[in-house]
Amino acid sequence: MTDKWKQLKQWPGWVVLGVVAVALLAFGSIRESGPRTSEERVEEISKQLACPICDGESVFESRNTASVAIRIQIKADVSAGAMGDDDIISKVAQVYGARVLLVPQATGIDALVWALPVAALVCAVAGLIVVFRRWKRAADTVPTADDRALVETAIREGLDES
Amino acid sequence: MQAANLSINGVLGHSFLVIGLVASIFGALSLAYGTRVGDRRLLRSAPNYAWLSGATAVAAFATMIHALVTRDFSLAYVQQVGSRSTPALYNVTAAWSALEGSILLWLTVLAGYTTVIMRKYRKRLDDPLIAWALVVMFVVTAFFFLLSFGPADAFRSGAPGVTDGPGPNPLLQNHVLVLFHPPILYLGYVGFTVPFAFAIAALITGRVGEGWLLVTRRWALFAWGFLTVGIILGGWWSYEVLGWSGVWAWDPVENASFLPWLTGTAYLHSVLVQERRGMLRVWNLSLLIATFALTILGTFLTRSGVIKSVHAFSNSTIGPFLLAFFGVVVVVSLSLIAWRGDRLRSPGAIDSPISREGAFLANNVLFTVFAFVVLLGTVFPLIVEALQDRQIAVGPPFFDELSMPIGIALLFLMAVAPVLPWRKASGELLRERLFVPAWCGVLALLASILVGANGLAPLLAFGLAGFAAGAAGRQVALATRRQGWRGFVGRANGGMIVHLGVILVAVALTASNSYTHVGEFTMQQAQPVTFSGHTFELQQVTAFTTPRSKGLQAEISIDGGQAYSPAITRYTTMGTDIGTPSVRTGFANDIFLTLEKAANAGATEVQVKIFIKPLIVWLWIGGALMAIGTVLAGFPGRRRNPLLPTSADVVGLPVVGLPVVGLPVVGTPVPVEEQSASV
Repeated sequence: MTDKWKQLKQWPGWVVLGVVAVALLAFGSIRESGPRTSEERVEEISKQLACPICDGESVFESRNTASVAIRIQIKADVSAGAMGDDDIISKVAQVYGARVLLVPQATGIDALVWALPVAALVCAVAGLIVVFRRWKRAADTVPTADDRALVETAIREGLDES
Repeated sequence: MQAANLSINGVLGHSFLVIGLVASIFGALSLAYGTRVGDRRLLRSAPNYAWLSGATAVAAFATMIHALVTRDFSLAYVQQVGSRSTPALYNVTAAWSALEGSILLWLTVLAGYTTVIMRKYRKRLDDPLIAWALVVMFVVTAFFFLLSFGPADAFRSGAPGVTDGPGPNPLLQNHVLVLFHPPILYLGYVGFTVPFAFAIAALITGRVGEGWLLVTRRWALFAWGFLTVGIILGGWWSYEVLGWSGVWAWDPVENASFLPWLTGTAYLHSVLVQERRGMLRVWNLSLLIATFALTILGTFLTRSGVIKSVHAFSNSTIGPFLLAFFGVVVVVSLSLIAWRGDRLRSPGAIDSPISREGAFLANNVLFTVFAFVVLLGTVFPLIVEALQDRQIAVGPPFFDELSMPIGIALLFLMAVAPVLPWRKASGELLRERLFVPAWCGVLALLASILVGANGLAPLLAFGLAGFAAGAAGRQVALATRRQGWRGFVGRANGGMIVHLGVILVAVALTASNSYTHVGEFTMQQAQPVTFSGHTFELQQVTAFTTPRSKGLQAEISIDGGQAYSPAITRYTTMGTDIGTPSVRTGFANDIFLTLEKAANAGATEVQVKIFIKPLIVWLWIGGALMAIGTVLAGFPGRRRNPLLPTSADVVGLPVVGLPVVGLPVVGTPVPVEEQSASV
């Protein structure tokens, strides 16, 4: 049983695990959760818009009259069914300006907020690779005869003291 | 009588602050000069200054509480946040409900830390490391005394003739958590001053080895634990009080507390590499300095009025002071690191990326990039406004989108790292140790799909959470099998309990963010509404009145059982409507009700929003587990086995840890299983 269990933990068991995991992920990813309710659409849209007159709250969170008015407008547009989520967001932005967009645009200087994190991650990973290579080169250094003699002496002394 | 109050509270408060300021300056000078010239008499006088600064900070804070409780409207701060109709509890919490009071709370906590550190190390003041660390603590304390006396003066006299005030923001006077969340958060936030002070002291004295790390590791853990609990309590407060059913809004003030948490978490991991291998010295110093500097920067961003935030206080003159202090911290720290560059070069090398230390490095990259994302998103509107004179917003969708892949990568590391040995792992060893945890991940994935979960990102998160839980559970099982109850204590074992808490938090956030159902209904009496498998029925609408507010609440029964009462409250002094949700908590999901519209008491029709939030209760349970794990990690664990090849040299034992890179380490063979479990 122990040997079988050990064998199972080697490649065959891992291949089965990989296949099952990928199959489950694929099945779960393509499975539909059913249509969104209109309230869920309103929630999703209003979470992407900032309250135009209060500090640091989205239209979804805020109870301010301006936010309430925008929510009513979003509800009406969602109920009408003619516009997509992005169209409704653009419509609100046309009235209140781009400052109500909580998702920064990917154009002009605004695109930096998307690009810089990716650049930071790439630089960090590249830095790690460089450092590991340097460490590996250092680790690959062949010990000299003096080094070996030093080690042997140290071991001998250690054993004598014990 | 009122005039007497004016003189007593204002004058007393100012007097305490001046004495505390002078005591802190004298404390710093006596330690710095005493260490420099070796004057023991001066060094021995330092504890008196610490006691004095601690006592005066506490006395100043107590004076403010007294002024608020006795409604001393001669003080401008009491005029701003006090009220005759506010209950006593919220009159106390009003102390930290605005800028001046929160700086006073910061000062009190900081002076308390300085006093406790002085008490703990009072017999070692002739050790330059301890002395310089206390100099730094005194200097930071003096700065906050200065802030409290100058730009954030809580004891300033107010306009004459004022006899009542508006009270704290209504949102800060309708839940008891406001009593706990800010002080606990500050215990963590301010607590990072202690390891920072020791880091600076290590640089000044040139003792940049591992000694200062051993002195500060429990302090860093202590601060991190309180910061964690403070952040979780903030999320709980938001959930229970604000009507939008969320726990985290990526608001600049929330981000200001999250940034030091991220760098602090990175430090708690990378410090193990330095303790164990003597490496990453500059990196660990930088993380501690960054953690402290971020607390100052975050406070500047959110308290100076430069960034709009729902938490932000009114504009004040505190900004330039905080910015200047931040600049001093950064310049001094970087200069010290440059000065000590020769001593900071670490001996040794990391042999393989597939090792415990390799995983900690990857962890640090992810946490640092995460902190960069949060900082960038927080300050980006400022940058655009400065460059193009144009206002933009960076909101939760941006942070959610970027934090999701980072979170998934961190879950993967949490799954793999605990089973990795130090130095190098073979493929065979990984296949052996990760097999059961990986199947735990597959089972978690299967269970998620069986209960209806979908979407690649949430499923990945659930699968990796199962994987990580399996790895943490395996480590705890191995440790308890070998050590009995001691298998739960010590950094490595307590850390695994913290990991289990983090996993619960991650699962709860993923489930509640991905699968919350929301519906808005016009509900009428005797006409039940069905939503998401539950039945809701309006029982009645009643009115309530308090000395400071009036409102309406709808009683709504769920599934024919207990009635829940979401309400809308209007605070008379502010004229603001505040929605108060009502929540039925369950292990599978919460039902979160908010009252959107009700005409009057006795109305037979109301508008109600219903949120079905899956697994959210596990967020609080996970937070509690993180706190328990932190406490367990703070207890001394089993002493490291000196026979381990990775342990420091021990005279008299047949093990020689060789400093020569590339040479094999010789010693008594130790089972690989044991190596990994004893961190």
